[in-house]
Amino acid sequence: MEALRNVFDFSDFPRIDLVVVGMVALFLVVFPLLPHSSFAMATMIQFLMFSLYGMGWNTIGGYGGQVDLGKAQYLGIGAFTTAVMLIRWDVPFWVSMPIGVALAVTWSFIIGYPLFRLTGHYFAIATIATSLVLKDIFEVWDFVGAARGLEISPIKYSPPDFLRLIFKEDIYYYYIILGFFFLGILYVNWFRKSRLGFQLRSIKDNEEVAQSLGINVHWAKIKTYAIATAFVSLVGSFHACYIKNIEPEDTMSLDLSILIALMAMLGGAGSLWGPIIGAGVLIPLKSYLKEWLGAKAGLVGIDLIIYAVIIMLISAVEPRGIWGIIEKIRRRKRA
Amino acid sequence: MALLEVHNLTKDFGGLRANDNISFSLDQGELLGLIGPNGAGKTTLFNCVSGLHPVTSGRIIFAGEDITRLKAHETARRGLARTFQVYVASGDLSVEENVMVGCFMQTRSPAQARARAKEILTDLKLNDLSDYLVSELPASAQKRVTMATALGSDPKLLLLDEVAAGLNPSEIEEIMAIIKHVHDDLGVTVMLIEHVMELVMKVSDRVIVLDYGQKIAEGEPATVAKDPMVIKAYLGERYVREHAEELK
Repeated sequence: MEALRNVFDFSDFPRIDLVVVGMVALFLVVFPLLPHSSFAMATMIQFLMFSLYGMGWNTIGGYGGQVDLGKAQYLGIGAFTTAVMLIRWDVPFWVSMPIGVALAVTWSFIIGYPLFRLTGHYFAIATIATSLVLKDIFEVWDFVGAARGLEISPIKYSPPDFLRLIFKEDIYYYYIILGFFFLGILYVNWFRKSRLGFQLRSIKDNEEVAQSLGINVHWAKIKTYAIATAFVSLVGSFHACYIKNIEPEDTMSLDLSILIALMAMLGGAGSLWGPIIGAGVLIPLKSYLKEWLGAKAGLVGIDLIIYAVIIMLISAVEPRGIWGIIEKIRRRKRA
Repeated sequence: MALLEVHNLTKDFGGLRANDNISFSLDQGELLGLIGPNGAGKTTLFNCVSGLHPVTSGRIIFAGEDITRLKAHETARRGLARTFQVYVASGDLSVEENVMVGCFMQTRSPAQARARAKEILTDLKLNDLSDYLVSELPASAQKRVTMATALGSDPKLLLLDEVAAGLNPSEIEEIMAIIKHVHDDLGVTVMLIEHVMELVMKVSDRVIVLDYGQKIAEGEPATVAKDPMVIKAYLGERYVREHAEELK
């Protein structure tokens, strides 16, 4: 009962925040009914997907302070599980998605157990390495389509197919991912106030102190890493049905892992709204910049420069990102 | 009844012997002081007892159970809490949240942990500071918060590592009152490392003195203070020779 109450309890935020959140939520619900371009719709779906990746990253990376730069490997596991099962055995999304999550979580235990013996930069580097190794394996593994990847051909199905998540119109995908988005927020809202959430924040503060308070630091990190993995793998499965054409090169790339971490850090690592703010800034920036640069081929790569500038600004100005700046201003006003 | 027994504890760091064959025991309800010059091995002894460092040899018995090989989180769950000399907080947690982390050892429920944290903070007269970040507080308040956090886990034995270091005389009075309150009223057995002599000598039932990793004296505060070995450890051999008359 108490857990259920905590899921819906946002009372520690000031009223102004809740008003803003309510308005954003309302906008997200009615967005497809407003006049919009298909490009805007695609951008919104990307925004919701990346918010979810960021929320997952934020549990271990934000609350726990364990910078993970290998999230794309779990996205790949989710996406390929769903694609392989659908194409080979006609298994619907709602069955293959939990199986993908189970496989991804299992993999996260296997690599998390040794990796969490490492700390700080060594951990971040090790997550990059495992992600790249898994990508290389997928690129030569014929069963999952090797480097050519897999294609889900919509002709074989009769959309709208709610079991297999095959639709012609993006609006279906939009509302499904929006549902996951709201569930994700509720879950993280519970997580941040749970015992595990507090333990993670204590670990980020000081690991020795955390241990002396009875916290099994290694196990708490592994558990939270599994939670983060479940988020990413779930959206990975969705990604396969939505994009329909997946290759290891674009579902498991290092760019993607870094973008996930960067978004959460820009918005505010270790805060509920941070990853959503980060995705809300970076995803439109990324897709409109790409569209605009498409006409000016000589400027390709400028988005990477912008990312680099953002990283420098975060580390120099406020390590806790945009949300950190907001909180700082509030504290100053109160004092 | 002995709550904590340490038998022939030795700890080596490479070639350095930080604790050399130390034995002592601590009774339920006692308040034991641990003193010694810098580098004597006091904090190392705490780290070994609480399971943060593996011991090189020796045995540690806590509440009748051999805890020699247990890790820090396992000893904590058996009722052995501690504070740290240098407290580094990244500043994410407020005072109340910090104490809640301790309380979460006894309960899964956030509401119960919060209620217990409020109780402890009120008891230690820290309730005005509940919403501040630990990193915003002055050293004296931080030390009290670390004690409150350790108490949150509802310990049988509390190891305090230099809670009075760097404090001014009135703050020392305050912390002394808290230590007495925790020991006398809450019934927690306490072992404390301290350089502030007026505090150790006043509150301790018994004092152990370490020097170069070895136990050189043990007994009541007044007796230990007159022990030539102890005076030598603190003030040097020449002082003992030159003041031989006064020391008798």
